[in-house]
Amino acid sequence: MSGSTRSDFASVWSLYLWIGIGVAVLVLCAVLFAVVRYRDRPGRAPSRRAERTAVEVAATVLILAIVALLVFRTFHTEAREDDSSAAGAVRIDVDAFQWGWKFTYPGQGVTVIGNSVREPNFAVPAGRRVSFALTSSDVIHAMWIPGQRFKKDAIPGRTNHFDMEFEARGREPGLCSEFCGLRHSNMRFGVWVLSDASYERWLAAHR
Amino acid sequence: MTWLAATDHKKTAAKVGVASIFFFLLSGLLALTMRAELAQPGLQFVSDHTYDELFTMHGSGMIYLFLTPAALGLGLYLVPLQVGAAEIAAPRLALFGFWLYLLGGLTMYSGFLTNNGAGDATWTATIPLSNSSGTPGVGMDLWVIGVALAVLGSLLIAITILLTIMRLRAPGMTMLRLPVFTWTMLATTFMVVASFPVLVVAMGLLIAERHIGGVFTGSTGSVAYQHLFWFYGHPVVYVMFFPFVGAVGEAVATFSRKRFFGYRALVVSLLFFTALSMAVWGHHMFITGAVKNQYYSLTSTLLAVPAGIEYLDLIGTMIGGALVFRAPMLFALGFIAQFLIGGLTGIIVASPPLDYHVNGSYFIVAHFHYTLFAGSLFGLLAGVHYWFPKATGAMLRERLAKASFWVLALGANVTFFPMFFLGYDGMPRRVADYEPRLGDLNLLSSIGAGVIAIGVVMVLVNLVASLRRKEPAGDDPWGAQTLEWWTTSPPPRDNFEAPLPAINSPAPLLDLREREEEARERRVEVPV
Repeated sequence: MSGSTRSDFASVWSLYLWIGIGVAVLVLCAVLFAVVRYRDRPGRAPSRRAERTAVEVAATVLILAIVALLVFRTFHTEAREDDSSAAGAVRIDVDAFQWGWKFTYPGQGVTVIGNSVREPNFAVPAGRRVSFALTSSDVIHAMWIPGQRFKKDAIPGRTNHFDMEFEARGREPGLCSEFCGLRHSNMRFGVWVLSDASYERWLAAHR
Repeated sequence: MTWLAATDHKKTAAKVGVASIFFFLLSGLLALTMRAELAQPGLQFVSDHTYDELFTMHGSGMIYLFLTPAALGLGLYLVPLQVGAAEIAAPRLALFGFWLYLLGGLTMYSGFLTNNGAGDATWTATIPLSNSSGTPGVGMDLWVIGVALAVLGSLLIAITILLTIMRLRAPGMTMLRLPVFTWTMLATTFMVVASFPVLVVAMGLLIAERHIGGVFTGSTGSVAYQHLFWFYGHPVVYVMFFPFVGAVGEAVATFSRKRFFGYRALVVSLLFFTALSMAVWGHHMFITGAVKNQYYSLTSTLLAVPAGIEYLDLIGTMIGGALVFRAPMLFALGFIAQFLIGGLTGIIVASPPLDYHVNGSYFIVAHFHYTLFAGSLFGLLAGVHYWFPKATGAMLRERLAKASFWVLALGANVTFFPMFFLGYDGMPRRVADYEPRLGDLNLLSSIGAGVIAIGVVMVLVNLVASLRRKEPAGDDPWGAQTLEWWTTSPPPRDNFEAPLPAINSPAPLLDLREREEEARERRVEVPV
């Protein structure tokens, strides 16, 4: 896998969005054309033609071609995002619970924990691959970092693995996006994206 | 009392209609309360707990108790008339289905009367949140039982419609002469029969899990429940879509004064759509990491093909026609334009890398409200405005109907369009509170909800006023094409008193008019 979930998303998104807008404009123009051109006026006799097989076949082929393009791009990106076997990545285990998060750095002796009253903040080094192992200790949650354009479910008894790469330094907000009970609205966390040196200092300070 | 026990399919359908309007208004009030709470960040009117009940019961009410029964109720009323039958097949089963549905709805809503309140584990009741430790209380049990009863009731009604199409067609009414709406109902009942029993079983298992335990346990239990739920949960989306495509198709053909374009292509596309609909449920589980995302992405994206054919046929029907913009036609055009946005954003969320961002966010809320509210409800209203004169013998007030259309269209877009941006910008669904930076778009959306409320009141006033002071409709006020317009308005107990016309196509009344016209032309050409 190369590139971040954010850049993966951006390229697929713009393809889908512009094709979608193109189709919407085309269809709405066709409706508008029919509404204006074929409105009832004195002397207008409606056509009796009710089949045009060539048009139906052409439309089917056209839509199939668009579907093929979209699915090809999606599969290509999906294959990269599913591959989370990067060596030398920063590893972070995430345990979601009602209603908070526990972030553990295996082998580092660092654990950050917080809940809906005091939200936790964990740190990652900018520009490096971060491998997450996500699970839950009670109900299903989902870990969403909108800035990364990515989320994954935290399911009790299962561990989901995924990689992210954080580019811009600063704080990225994250939250639970799967309804999990009373304090779901307040189940938030933050990611500090730091330079390598600051990241090492952060780790040392939290040991 | 005789009305309540009557087995006439038209009266059973009227009961379904009244009950579904009741549950629509109830579930709509919950939505207005939610939008009031969401107009500003922070908590103003309701607690977190109450808010959870509100969105759970709003979604459950609209899907289990309003759009599904309303779609089937429309079929229960119309299918026997459209195929030239005197009665629905198994009329007492249909009536029993109605009572189960009503009982289920009242059971679900009665949760509000219990100590812990109504069900509050979302309309999907995901495990383990919905088990006895995640969501304790009688309200949640009532929710599970209510869903099982309502869905079972809908299943029984669908079976009677399916049997009617298979067994009670008038002589000459071959499968490829079924009206467009009846074809959409046939496809709908296929999906109902294949998927609804799975949900009834899932609800039975959920009750067992809550009271005995050991059903959905371990690392596989929660995923297994989702498979069962969405095996029902996706086909039901098209159960709430097909019949309204059919209603819109009938209205568009009638008000274009033209035969439905591409009838055979539509039939093929409906069947293809139906088959695919049973193979897309995993797209609700893209972020679980427990399904093969590529497979469900492929099947889901392929839905663009039959959906595209349906759009082509609707627009093809208008092209070359002589369009008359009565109220049902306006609602039909609203359906076509607005469902388009719901459908195209559906293609977007069928791509896992895109769904990874928007899943569980307001983008999804916007997407399915464009399909279900701006789409299906507008299609239902096209049908209601189109067939109201047939069912009651009275015309609706045309100017009020048109005004209500514009108010509803304005309200729907102001309410739901901002939600695309809210979701993209990081607002998750099912939260009573949000970041202050999202306040402006939420306020706009809440204002839109108020506009929708005004539009709904206008529709209701129109229905009541038109029933109070009747403006007689006659047998066929629109110059329509299908058999229900051959009989009186409202139709007699056994639907048809006069012998049926010859049925040589899906539009027998249009055939008659065209033959009369040809006869007139011949007389003009060959003067005596």
